[in-house]
Amino acid sequence: MFRILKKSLKTGVVTGQYTDAAQSCASLAPETREKALPFKQSLAIREVDTGSCNACEMEMNALTNPVYDIERFGVHIAASPRHADALVVTGPVTANMEHPLKDVYKQTPDPKLVIALGDCAVNCGIFKGSYAVTGPVDRHIPVDVCIPGCPPRPAEILEALADVRRSRPSS
Amino acid sequence: MTERSSAVLRIQSTFPDLIAERSSDRLVQYRVDKSRLPELARFLHEKLQGRLALLFAVDCRPLEEKYEIQYLFSLDRHWVLLTVAVAGADRLFTSITPSVHAAQWYEREIRDLFGLIPQGHPDLRRLVRHEHWPKGTHPLMKEFLWDKTIGRQQGEYRFRHIEGEGVFEIPVGPIHAGVIEAGHFRFSVAGEPIMQLEIRHFWKHRGIEKLFEQQTLITALPLAERVSGDTTFGHGLAYCEAAESLLHLEVPRHARYLRSLFLELERLHNHFGDVGAICTDTAYALAHAHCSRMKELLMQLNDRLTGSRFLRGALAIGGVTNDVSAIQRSEMVDVLDAIEKDFAELESIIFANASLTDRLETTGVLTERTAWDHGVVGIVGRASGMDQDVRRDRPFAAYNELAINVVLYRYGDVRARLRVRMDEIHESIRLIREILNKMPQGPLVATSDHQPRPGEWALSAVEGWRGEILYFVMAGENGRIHRCKVRDPSFVNWPAIQWAVIGNIVPDFPLINKSFNLSYAGNDL
Repeated sequence: MFRILKKSLKTGVVTGQYTDAAQSCASLAPETREKALPFKQSLAIREVDTGSCNACEMEMNALTNPVYDIERFGVHIAASPRHADALVVTGPVTANMEHPLKDVYKQTPDPKLVIALGDCAVNCGIFKGSYAVTGPVDRHIPVDVCIPGCPPRPAEILEALADVRRSRPSS
Repeated sequence: MTERSSAVLRIQSTFPDLIAERSSDRLVQYRVDKSRLPELARFLHEKLQGRLALLFAVDCRPLEEKYEIQYLFSLDRHWVLLTVAVAGADRLFTSITPSVHAAQWYEREIRDLFGLIPQGHPDLRRLVRHEHWPKGTHPLMKEFLWDKTIGRQQGEYRFRHIEGEGVFEIPVGPIHAGVIEAGHFRFSVAGEPIMQLEIRHFWKHRGIEKLFEQQTLITALPLAERVSGDTTFGHGLAYCEAAESLLHLEVPRHARYLRSLFLELERLHNHFGDVGAICTDTAYALAHAHCSRMKELLMQLNDRLTGSRFLRGALAIGGVTNDVSAIQRSEMVDVLDAIEKDFAELESIIFANASLTDRLETTGVLTERTAWDHGVVGIVGRASGMDQDVRRDRPFAAYNELAINVVLYRYGDVRARLRVRMDEIHESIRLIREILNKMPQGPLVATSDHQPRPGEWALSAVEGWRGEILYFVMAGENGRIHRCKVRDPSFVNWPAIQWAVIGNIVPDFPLINKSFNLSYAGNDL
């Protein structure tokens, strides 16, 4: 027990020890801001992988580590689409994942946001044109926010999500 | 002629009429008639203890009107490659699965991608092509266009059922509760214990092997880096090694050291992630927080060294793109010293926790026998007593000049797999120090204007952090790739999970799965 306390005291606070995102994401469309209003600056996210190489998921996972600690912004990762305000989709949509994706979209209660994370989700990236890939995410479900990058750094994802949270008119 | 291994001599004395088609110090290739294959495969597997490392098909058209099926066996650090030709209209080949269990998924994969039928295979359900793919869709046949849109049909996948009182099924996936990849698991349980697990994968099949065929040897590297995101450098390096041997490129010594350095850095950050993940699944949040913090430190280090947290773009055909400056070297030493001390403290805290050890021991045991039957590789293999590590057995990059201690445990449970990772963390840090001390100076990239003949091929093996990664690259016309077979360690380790979970309770499955931590993307391709 003392060892654990000692270790924790020695480590101290590490939150925020990262280089800030180089550039902010493209500004959000006004209708997206409108859509994000009911969430009142907190967001429950469901991550859906439709064929990524796993790098984007690793960066999503990194957001929950003590350095980024995404929960301090009221963003948390839900275990089911039924508990989610926003779907974060990674990867080009493969032929085999097309149905599960549409299904998840249907299961997510309205109002909902869809965030395409990474180059593959935005425009299929390097897998563009392949017989097994049916297209980017917005070919199958409407996308509200795009976060480009291969993969985007956690700081960039954080910045983009903060943008969505800022949607509330400043009070 | 270099020294032959005793295994090769034994093949030759048992089958005197076999004539080696190609023979180098590490690989012997035999062309075998279709009818003799099962007998030879059984001999290699049972008598000579050969591990089936790779099985794949090549469509030889338009050069020759035939298919070739290649069986790669790994025998005491040598490779034996059996090549069987399939020509004519019947498209049949004899299945070796009845005697070599490890061939099971490979043969189903060949059937799906090439339309060749393994005769005598006990399980001919679809593997890669899900049931909604129309009949006759075999994407790796040469006449199949890479950008063809595939249609849809109705179909149903039949899982194996167990019937009886109190037996029920739990379907999980393809979308899981955590932030992880897509796969489907079907458990048959009686109460809590798992009686049977069936895995159904290939949801993330992106047609990577076909995409390789659209690229030239030089331009395909970014694709290899995106086979499996967490093994970016491992896959990139394995591809480079194969392409370089086709292009007759001699990688400069400085670049080879840097390659080993980056490969160890990749191993480190992934191992930290895994140790943390195993602790989360036992609800030990403190250990997880510390591990993910250390992992983050390493990924930020990667970012400062190469401009990518995943070391993307650090490789080039013929060398590396980035040097590590003297300042960066001393920074790296500082970061690693701090992390090693930090981790040693954490390790003693973790293993002082009896409730954690209790969860880990005897959970998800993969016996040495089962591991051997599946030809399991990498961390999972080393935790089950299979003494193999490509870095030592067939050195690549700069490993021929470095001393590797292979971590080996025998129990095959979750704790053994955790221990392998923890010991490898210390070993990797030691190796990085050795690499930095020995780092020579010199050029970063080599060039050559050699063009391989169409039909020439090369095989390469790299020990990624998960295990042995294999690449088979065959050159085509105009510097293009004719065939590229990618084998992530996950492909052989996934079926083994189905056996490791039997008898364990369902709540332990996430823990067992984490301790294997296999890639879905690298498996599905």
